[in-house]
Amino acid sequence: MNIKKLGKLALPYLVWMLVLVGIPLVMIFILSFMNTDGVSFVGATWTTAAWEKMFSFADPTNLKILGDTFLYALIATVICFLIGYPMAYIVARSPFSNKFVILILTIIPMWSNSLLRNVALKNILSETNILDNLLSRIGLSFSIAFANQDQATFISIIIGLVLTYLPFMILPIYTVIEKIDESLLEASMDLGANRVRTFAKVTFPLSMKGVTTGIIMVFLPCFSGFAIQKLLSSGTVYVLGSLIEANFIHDINFVSMLSIVILILIFGSMMIVAKVDKEGATLV
Amino acid sequence: MGVRKKEPGRITLFFRRPDVEKVVGSIANLLKYAFFAFFMLLMYLPIFVIAIQSFNQSTGLIYQFNGFTFEHWMNVLTFDLDSSLAKAITTTLLVAVLATAISTVLGTLVAIGIHSLPKKKRQGMVFLNQVPILNADIITGISLMFVFKIVAELIPGVFGIPSLLVAHVFFCMPYVVLSILPKLAELDENLYDAALDLYCKPSAGIVKVIIPAIMPGILTGMLIAFTMSIDDFLISFFNAGQVNNLSIYIYGGYNRRLAPEVYAYNTILSTVIILGLVAMYVVSAAKKRAALKHDLRHA
Repeated sequence: MNIKKLGKLALPYLVWMLVLVGIPLVMIFILSFMNTDGVSFVGATWTTAAWEKMFSFADPTNLKILGDTFLYALIATVICFLIGYPMAYIVARSPFSNKFVILILTIIPMWSNSLLRNVALKNILSETNILDNLLSRIGLSFSIAFANQDQATFISIIIGLVLTYLPFMILPIYTVIEKIDESLLEASMDLGANRVRTFAKVTFPLSMKGVTTGIIMVFLPCFSGFAIQKLLSSGTVYVLGSLIEANFIHDINFVSMLSIVILILIFGSMMIVAKVDKEGATLV
Repeated sequence: MGVRKKEPGRITLFFRRPDVEKVVGSIANLLKYAFFAFFMLLMYLPIFVIAIQSFNQSTGLIYQFNGFTFEHWMNVLTFDLDSSLAKAITTTLLVAVLATAISTVLGTLVAIGIHSLPKKKRQGMVFLNQVPILNADIITGISLMFVFKIVAELIPGVFGIPSLLVAHVFFCMPYVVLSILPKLAELDENLYDAALDLYCKPSAGIVKVIIPAIMPGILTGMLIAFTMSIDDFLISFFNAGQVNNLSIYIYGGYNRRLAPEVYAYNTILSTVIILGLVAMYVVSAAKKRAALKHDLRHA
């Protein structure tokens, strides 16, 4: 087998990955326990100042930001799942011969700049918006009334996150549902299960892998991003990413510490979801 | 199969009667598609607004339609833009095209390499390849920033287009590798052996045998790489130095009015991509049909 000799083509990639993934990870960890001047270690000492800045109960500002960030990401992910799963299911089980076209339809929004889409969304969600202005000419109106500014900000951010990351939930779930062997469903029905039971005991457990990927793909950017939150709140809402944005030039140690918080969450969410998946697999 | 006779004394539940079931079924179907259409519409609403804004006469009022104009489209097409927007668009397109080209070529070779490794090593590399995809963009951005900060001590001026390009290749390449690997798994390795037996050099074997066979995967990877690069904000934000790409430009203007040409540029770009895809789809469908006809005629 001559092709086995081509394995050496992968070697530079290993080096490239280790340099660009491995070294920074070690640096992030070390820098979070130091007080360096940028990346220069001259005169730096070990300290837990960065950690105290975050987890200080005397001044819980940063802890509250962490909580808010988590809340936004969690709510957006749950809503994405509740909307995305049925959408993926509907496409995968639709009688249309050409699912490719429907699939492309879910991807097309991704070819518009995601921040620009949120700028447009901000316009739509304003009390006087361009759609209302256009519709008013034919006697219709389109305006969403919020109870107060806080509620408006909160709901706008959730809508922005959901609409931006919904395709990332739909696509992996669609892929797994599409691949489920239909004879399994027939078998379930033949053995007396109705459609609801077939879905709960066969389809859903078999789609857990897609759900896992979907949840990770939505939760992580919602938790770690800051641009959508800033755009839709006009800069009034602070999330974990905003702290990184505010400090990345002057306080690298604090930024490293914040990165570790996100890394722990990346790791944690993958573990939790992997566990759910395992239990789901035993249900079959 | 015989016709099932109605058993005497058997009660059919109202909602199990065939006629009722049919009506309920079609209502459920209708609701299903209404649900799908509603959320699709929501996803498209911002894009409609972007398109509307691209034709909106600019008077400073973005919350109303001030009249139809082609001006912004013409400004984009003739590249008559204010300098910061022009620079942002140039940077975005330059980096996207270069990063896509580089990550497609290198990603193809790397994918072939990974595919040829023994099982254990291959699984390790596939996992490593997924790290940048599953990692949060902000972590990737900060990680790369640290590396470039060290590099900048040796080579000042690395921040800007060079760092942006390396960063984009870094996060685009895994998608290329990932879309090629399944195609390699389908590849008949005897073909490559045959090519080498017939005195092909390994390099020629790759170019003439392997690459044509995995072409669909390469094209998919290329498309994903371009899509990711052109829309990236977070990773670019930490690695662009003084340069702006379009996302950074839009983000910087979060509290003021954007130049209306941004809307026109975005509408033009997505239209071109969609038309390109439709054209590709139509051509490949026509080719398939022609091939089928040919086969039938010669059968």
